[in-house]
Amino acid sequence: MAIARGSLGASRAGYYLYLIPGTLGFLALVLCPLIANVGISFTTWKGIGKARFVGIENYERLAQDAMFWGSIGHTLLFIISMTVVPIIIGLILAAVLFDYISKQFGEGLSSFLRAVFYLPQILPVTAAGVLWGWILSPIGITNTVLKSIGLGAVAQNWLGDPTYALPAVSAVIVWIQVGYCLVVFMAGLARVDPSLYEAAELDGATWWQRLGSITIPMLMPEIFVVALTTVIAALKVFAPVYVLTAGGPDNATLVPSYLTYYHFFTTNRVGYAAAIATLQTLVTIVLGIVFIRMQSRQSEEGA
Amino acid sequence: MSMLRRLGLAAGLSTLLLAGGAQAQDSKTFNIWWFELPDSAEGVVWQKALDEFKASHPGVTVNFQQKTFIQLQKAGSMILNSNQAPDLLEYNKGNATAGLVASQGLLTPLDDTVKQRGWDKILNDTDLQLARYDENGVYGSGPIYGIPTYGEFVSVFYNKDMLDANGLKLPTTLDEFVADMDAFKQKGITPLAMGGKDTSAQHLLYTLALSKADDTWVHNFQGLKTQLDTAPLLYAAQTMQDWVNKGYISKDATGLMDPDAANVFTSGKAPIYVSGTWNLGAFASTIKTFKWGQFLLPTPKYSVGSTGNLWIVPKGAQSKDLAYDFIGLTLSPKYQTELANEGGVAIAADPSTITNPVGSTAAKLFTDISSKGGLGFYPDWPVPGFYDVLIQKTAGLIGGTLTPQQFVDQLKQSYDEAQQNQ
Repeated sequence: MAIARGSLGASRAGYYLYLIPGTLGFLALVLCPLIANVGISFTTWKGIGKARFVGIENYERLAQDAMFWGSIGHTLLFIISMTVVPIIIGLILAAVLFDYISKQFGEGLSSFLRAVFYLPQILPVTAAGVLWGWILSPIGITNTVLKSIGLGAVAQNWLGDPTYALPAVSAVIVWIQVGYCLVVFMAGLARVDPSLYEAAELDGATWWQRLGSITIPMLMPEIFVVALTTVIAALKVFAPVYVLTAGGPDNATLVPSYLTYYHFFTTNRVGYAAAIATLQTLVTIVLGIVFIRMQSRQSEEGA
Repeated sequence: MSMLRRLGLAAGLSTLLLAGGAQAQDSKTFNIWWFELPDSAEGVVWQKALDEFKASHPGVTVNFQQKTFIQLQKAGSMILNSNQAPDLLEYNKGNATAGLVASQGLLTPLDDTVKQRGWDKILNDTDLQLARYDENGVYGSGPIYGIPTYGEFVSVFYNKDMLDANGLKLPTTLDEFVADMDAFKQKGITPLAMGGKDTSAQHLLYTLALSKADDTWVHNFQGLKTQLDTAPLLYAAQTMQDWVNKGYISKDATGLMDPDAANVFTSGKAPIYVSGTWNLGAFASTIKTFKWGQFLLPTPKYSVGSTGNLWIVPKGAQSKDLAYDFIGLTLSPKYQTELANEGGVAIAADPSTITNPVGSTAAKLFTDISSKGGLGFYPDWPVPGFYDVLIQKTAGLIGGTLTPQQFVDQLKQSYDEAQQNQ
């Protein structure tokens, strides 16, 4: 017995050893910067030189900063374009590919289309963003095409007009996000028993009825996972905004991450930038907890 | 596998993970960065100078890295505060950039070198105004921390063929300039190309402001001396929005960057583009189908412009003498003349040696401005982050979401806050 217990202990210790690189990486790249960030948020600091402790001054300022609250408002809209719309489109597309295309036209076409929809996820956001910048430029492809087919009145200064800039950036983000939702949903559909669909079809259920009664309920776990990850992504969205509009025009597309970046790198108000980042992290964590609670409650009900 | 070997593996992986960017330094290498584009006059001439440098320093490994303005604008202070800084780099002049890093002790003071190498005979006090920063990082006094080798200024670029075709003369006053724009508009041509989410918009705005500004205003504004007196800026904002309403500037400008606007000009779609001399090299090489020229919008004294970006030597540079050798090359008569002949704005070229009309006009206009002490600098200089504020707010002004009064009020808010907290 003694020998057996000893070898068990040694093998456990062996497992822990392999955790060291990851733990050190987590400490160096996540935990320490996070703690440092909270610390810096209570100081005024130019990024170099000495930091001066100022207590909660940065947070008081933040509470009255119209730019910050504006950026929070835009984030709520980005939750729609990064989470709500892609999930709806993703669900419909996944159901179409799974329940119609692959039945009528075969697996090959369905897999090909799935890959096509996923492509924007593989493209680097910066490259895609630069391309969309050209496409949506006032002298870009969209407007040139619209004008050449006699729809000149529809042509807009997509990224330069505050009325259209936020919807235009949102549309690009939807284009990026749909592939992610689609792939997860299709993976989820693969474990749904096909006989459910067959039975429903025999009973005369329409395609929309099958979507509502089989596809969506069966995909609830996937929908929760996708909603959680995309809401977090929406809360910290940066790259598309940076590449497409740099928060403009006149801060119409400003988001908290960009505001953090702006204060960190251009006004050199590092303490204030840290306060924004800290608040943003808190909101993200709270929302994350809420979602995970809802998800576990849902899966308990399901079981 | 023994415990020891597992531990070794774990330790090795951890070190690998943590030792991201350590770099060996060697006194026989010379690391140099600049962000002037390869086809700009400075880029072309510095590359030639670097070739000569390599030939005259055979034992030295030269590592050149092309950076972008934005890279160093955003991350420059952090790079200079690390051990990753090169031996010599081009850096944006001004309080918020060179001034900030100078005041933090990250740069090598160059006063002794300037005397030893005789650069004080090439550059006069006005040229060195933006090379000096005091302990608060404010330009104008204190040690020399950087060496300018060229000048720059904002002027009007015009398409001579389009002016001729429409029977228009080159304007000499602001009224004539407006009359010409109106004539183009009557013929259905939007006269002014503009990057409304880039610098050309704020440069036109500041040019217009300087047409109503005196010594005191410029001195106070650039020096962050008092709260912002918005009168000249209000005039500029009203004028600019008026020009948008009259169709001299398209509202679509807010969707364009400067390179887009420059394309509109170089492709002959718009006859006028107000921007800086940094375009000269590209215009000289890309405009083939029409004659073009530049003139200064008339102002009482000040124009938007300054001495060029600085060569700076980081405090921890390993090869400072090599850095000084290269600065000396770029200041030498040979490369100053080459710079003017490439269409650049030479700071110290002998006019009689310049053969390129573009470079000679630019050198003459720069001398006109600097000889009367009329370098008004740039509108974003006084306040860190003002550059982005100006871009956001001018876009609002052009797009019509801000009235001129709201525009200046919002600028004043940023400016006064920085003024109080300096």
